[in-house]
Amino acid sequence: MTLFHFFNCAILTFGPHAVYFSATPLSEYDTLGTSIKAALVYLGTALVKLVCLATFLKVSENDSFDPYQELLKALIGFIDVAGLYFALTQLTHRNISQNHKFQAVGLGWAFADSVLHRLAPLWVGARGLEFTWDFILQGLEANANLVLSISLAALGSLMWLRKNKPKTLIPIIYACAGIVATMPSITRSATHLLFIAYGQKLLEKRIGVAFSKGCRL
Amino acid sequence: MQSNPKTMSSKNPRERQMLESIYSMIALVFILVTCVDLCDAATVVDVYRLIQYDISGVPFGSRFATLNHHAGSLHSAPGVDLSRTVLIIPVHELNITFIKEYISQRKPLGGLLFLLPQMFNFENREAATESKYQIREKELMKTVLVELERLLIHANIPYPVYFAFEDDDIDAVLADVKRSDVSGQPATATTGGYKLVVSAPEPKRIASPSITNIQGWLPGLKADGDPNQLPTIAIVASYDTFGTAPALSVGSDSNGSGVVALLELARLFSLLYSNPKTRGRYNLLFGLTSGGPYNYNGTHKWLRSFDQRLRESIDYAICLNSIGSWDNELRIHVSKPPENAFIKQIFEGFSTVAEELGFEVGLKHKKINISNPRVAWEHEQFSKLRVTAATLSELSTAPELLESTGGLSDSRHFINETAIVRSIKLVAESIARHIYGCQGKSIQIFADDTSLAVNAPYIRSWLDLLSKTPRVVPFLTKNDPFVMALKKELEDHTHEVNVHHEVLDGMFTLYDSTKAKLNIYQVASVTFDLLLLLVLGSYLIILFTFLVITTRGLDDLISLFRRPPSRKVKTA
Repeated sequence: MTLFHFFNCAILTFGPHAVYFSATPLSEYDTLGTSIKAALVYLGTALVKLVCLATFLKVSENDSFDPYQELLKALIGFIDVAGLYFALTQLTHRNISQNHKFQAVGLGWAFADSVLHRLAPLWVGARGLEFTWDFILQGLEANANLVLSISLAALGSLMWLRKNKPKTLIPIIYACAGIVATMPSITRSATHLLFIAYGQKLLEKRIGVAFSKGCRL
Repeated sequence: MQSNPKTMSSKNPRERQMLESIYSMIALVFILVTCVDLCDAATVVDVYRLIQYDISGVPFGSRFATLNHHAGSLHSAPGVDLSRTVLIIPVHELNITFIKEYISQRKPLGGLLFLLPQMFNFENREAATESKYQIREKELMKTVLVELERLLIHANIPYPVYFAFEDDDIDAVLADVKRSDVSGQPATATTGGYKLVVSAPEPKRIASPSITNIQGWLPGLKADGDPNQLPTIAIVASYDTFGTAPALSVGSDSNGSGVVALLELARLFSLLYSNPKTRGRYNLLFGLTSGGPYNYNGTHKWLRSFDQRLRESIDYAICLNSIGSWDNELRIHVSKPPENAFIKQIFEGFSTVAEELGFEVGLKHKKINISNPRVAWEHEQFSKLRVTAATLSELSTAPELLESTGGLSDSRHFINETAIVRSIKLVAESIARHIYGCQGKSIQIFADDTSLAVNAPYIRSWLDLLSKTPRVVPFLTKNDPFVMALKKELEDHTHEVNVHHEVLDGMFTLYDSTKAKLNIYQVASVTFDLLLLLVLGSYLIILFTFLVITTRGLDDLISLFRRPPSRKVKTA
């Protein structure tokens, strides 16, 4: 039964990548090599990012929200953009169109991210007896991340690979790229704000419930 | 050049779509995060196992320790198969006839988990002091518990039985279980619910448990040139317990109150005996014996270890047993007929003092049946060796085997400290009058507000310690801190403190594994998993068709189904 749950979560986490690969023309143009290369670049980028995070970030004991640290985190997040730049422009790809290239890179990128961040927790956690929504959420997160990676790769290919862009679109592209690249920080801040707005009330309510329970007993 | 704006225009709506989908994803994540907060309720609870023991090979108690079943409550529909369900039963809503029926008819159950009110939790001092229950409710609960204990101890139960204390976590679980039971869907593997797991090793029998007797002397003043040995007065109390849950058997009344009284008596007489002017012409012997629930096996061994001369020098022995919760009558239990001169003397001494203190002392006579191995009172072990002895107790009749031995219901809440103080006064005063030969005179040696007054804080602190220490013999090792503490306390007040280690013999065999951790898991049902698989499958299929249509067109999708080798069409 718990293996069943693990299977479900694995489908949710890794299924969309496979579907994307097989449903789009990517599978017809032999872009697997590109995806693998992108995944390797992701590995290197993740390593560099870890080193940077460990060097520049302070470890906070409590889960407090520090805007300065968040800014630093967002800046370090741009290492991802550098990695994508490398994967898109510096690597020699087989002769495939730009259209397919960015998709292949984005897909490889997202898949590597899923494997690195989600496979081990899934294997350890989802086979336990206790049911939690965590792993289903994690699968949904993997889906969102796939979309994010491909859009970032698309924007990157627009910025760096296309030679003649209409002048008016350039700032829009850069703005979009900036937004997408800082998306993790944005969602984190949003969660924090949401917590401030609603969490407090929720917390009070819970404490109230516990208190009334204690009184009743 | 021409393709450029076209691709741009085709890309931008797509991007927007992607961003939109991200936002909707984020919204979904938030919704689910709130769900997680509400659903997460896994807990680990300390549980205490029902005792498992054999009496000469006949098994009693709960015979298993491992538990891995779904949780159920008493609200489930009648006639439902409960052989794979752990019933969670709070003691305050216990239906004793239901349990009786289940146990006597040996109906299959997955297990039983009794929830005790927090006031029985001796480890949680705060909850113990502020009692939420009224006195009447307390008494009611006590009678229910006594009945439950009697039922469980004398039954052979082929499934694990555990006790736990009510707290918020387990109450929440129980409320959930009740709700699902009332709605008519008992929790099984197909409907989800809670799973209770205790992973404990197979209970092992405890080989040759040791019992420890502690004795201390207060030697009397010998007149110069008197060849005769001084007579001895023995004060004895057994300190160990036996109960439904060995890890919870603290026995505040039986026989914590007796131990406290003995220690206080030792303290009082040590004050008198430290001064040669007030040192009596009697030796005082204080004995803390073990093995009380097992027909006073420890007392038996202890007495056998005395030499004949010493045994004969004992004038009389007073055994203290359950003297902590009486109102206005104590009983002196004897096994010699009341007409016996020694008995008469003891009884008269006690009853005059009791009259002065404002309560009654009754005399109860119960003959010893030599052929019956059951020893109901500690003094019977003395009487068997022809030593005059009596037991002071609040119990009106002799307890049955393994009853009134300090079980679950015997908690600190039911102890009346003033009762103990009065008992101590009674014993101290009576013995002192006997020693100093002032029977019949109305003098108070241990009067209040003197240096010889009974020390209430001392009693309270020892009573608190005793009410926190489970004392079932096989689980009290030879050098248990509690035994050492008793020895040290006696050493402080008396001389020649000896510790005798003996092996508990007789027909009792106990098994270990008395405490465990209960994991409560919230498990999803198989149907939920199936449903999830269905949803995920349809999601992937929709994603697939969506992607094929947007990137390759509808025709490709149709051709994908019409002719599987669609690759040829593309390359052509």
